[in-house]
Amino acid sequence: MNAKLLEIEGLSAGYGAVPVLRGIALHVAAGEIVTLVGSNGAGKTTLLRAISRTLASRGRIRFDGRDLGALSPEAVFALGLVQVPEGRQLFARMSVEENLQMGAYLRRDAAGIARSFERVYRLFPVLFERRRQKAGSLSGGEQQMCAMGRALMAAPRLLVVDEMSLGLAPVVVDQLLGVLAEIRGEGVTILLVEQDVFAAFSVADRGYVLETGRIVREGKVSELAADPEVRRAYLGVAEAG
Amino acid sequence: MSSRWGVPLLGAALLGAVPWIGDETMMQFGIYLLLVAALAQAWNILGGFTGYASFGNSTFYGLGVYGTAIAMAQFDLPFWVGLVLGAILAMLCALLIGLPILRLRGPYFAIATLGLNAALSALVANLDIAGRNIGLILPLTRHDVLFYEGLLALLLAATLAVAWISSSRFGMGLIAIREDEDAAAVMGVDTTLYKIAALVLSSLFSALAGGIYAYYVTFIDPASAFDPKLNVQMVIMAVFGGPGTVLGPVVGAFILYSIYQALASSISTAAALFYGVVIILAVIFMPKGLVDLGWGLRRMGPRYLLETVRQYRL
Repeated sequence: MNAKLLEIEGLSAGYGAVPVLRGIALHVAAGEIVTLVGSNGAGKTTLLRAISRTLASRGRIRFDGRDLGALSPEAVFALGLVQVPEGRQLFARMSVEENLQMGAYLRRDAAGIARSFERVYRLFPVLFERRRQKAGSLSGGEQQMCAMGRALMAAPRLLVVDEMSLGLAPVVVDQLLGVLAEIRGEGVTILLVEQDVFAAFSVADRGYVLETGRIVREGKVSELAADPEVRRAYLGVAEAG
Repeated sequence: MSSRWGVPLLGAALLGAVPWIGDETMMQFGIYLLLVAALAQAWNILGGFTGYASFGNSTFYGLGVYGTAIAMAQFDLPFWVGLVLGAILAMLCALLIGLPILRLRGPYFAIATLGLNAALSALVANLDIAGRNIGLILPLTRHDVLFYEGLLALLLAATLAVAWISSSRFGMGLIAIREDEDAAAVMGVDTTLYKIAALVLSSLFSALAGGIYAYYVTFIDPASAFDPKLNVQMVIMAVFGGPGTVLGPVVGAFILYSIYQALASSISTAAALFYGVVIILAVIFMPKGLVDLGWGLRRMGPRYLLETVRQYRL
């Protein structure tokens, strides 16, 4: 449980001459749920793009002891570092089942893929009901489930979930958080990137707070939730007196 | 399986018998019909599956034409050597040109491929070995049955290739590229490699069709070999029949070319006008092609027509 699955040191990245991230250090141990919170423009998505290697960066990113610096996005994906992208990026005109099938695109073990299908349909029964329906015709919550299911079909070791709660009803968010806990119970490590700090803290073990490209706080979520600065800025709780 | 392929196989057998049951007019009609059907099917490999509308397929066709013509007219080489030469030229061209232009999306890709046609046409018009502006004359033969059966075999091969693609991982990757290229890349599809592979395969069938046709017509020049209008035919026929389906482009080519010939022989001058009207009506009422129309009518009857018109806001 203590092996560091993802380890980031001194990471800097940006677009053109504009630096967005400066000296990021972050790690996720195997079996953990770690959350990265921060407001709009803090650099969360930039950090995820650096991790998935769709954006060049300086510094070190190691996944399971392997340096990701020189790898292509496909190679990173093949190692089991799988993202559920913000906005879901589903194949809107393909059926739910075809979307899930695409998640297993790089896998060749038919038996393993069949098990993954079972697991995804067990976690999200509604996807089984709607497996023949076009992904674009699903509700927002179902689309998020489909995106998470598709990522699970890739047999991830680290699941990176970006803005899961965006635009979803609180009851749906609660349901998805429950599924995250269940997925972790099955041995998948999770990095959850969220604006909804309440939701993120309710399921994560540890958290990092990102502000204007730097990590300003880190620790167990219980400690972060008790931190007056975090409470004021992210939980909307004013300290009395 | 057997019932699904029964009709196409019977159709292929009937087509194969045409030289023995038809007259010369029918043979000429058949040869050109098989040519455009094979070209539409070749176009389908890239255009239908990945959604990249190529206007460079007439370039590959032209390279096939010139490969055969140069080998036979300038070096007295056998026909098959010319075919191979043309295919190699076209595939090299697809490979070299694919890397830079497959990065372009949508209309930009179409425009770039259109430019390719003009460039190659100008190039051969200035090459001595290709007969410059005047063109080349191939040795005369009267083996129309061979040309007919050769084009039929090519159409079958292209259709089998498309059938394989549509049920393979490769084809799934191509469809994913069409549906959402970024998402496909996120799922581990090597989009650049796949697009180039599809383009090269498409160029192979286009060039073989050009090579056979060059020997059949015996006289070729830059304008007829690199003819953008031929490419427009491929696109219209494939889209009319159903892009990204196995039999759609073939059915589309057969129907549209037959309509065109019927119009041309009955009302000659106004044929192009009526042909245009047929295409406009087809785009309005069946924007996803004949194959989709067939499924739709079976599933929901005439309501399908209204549904598609509504869906595409026409």
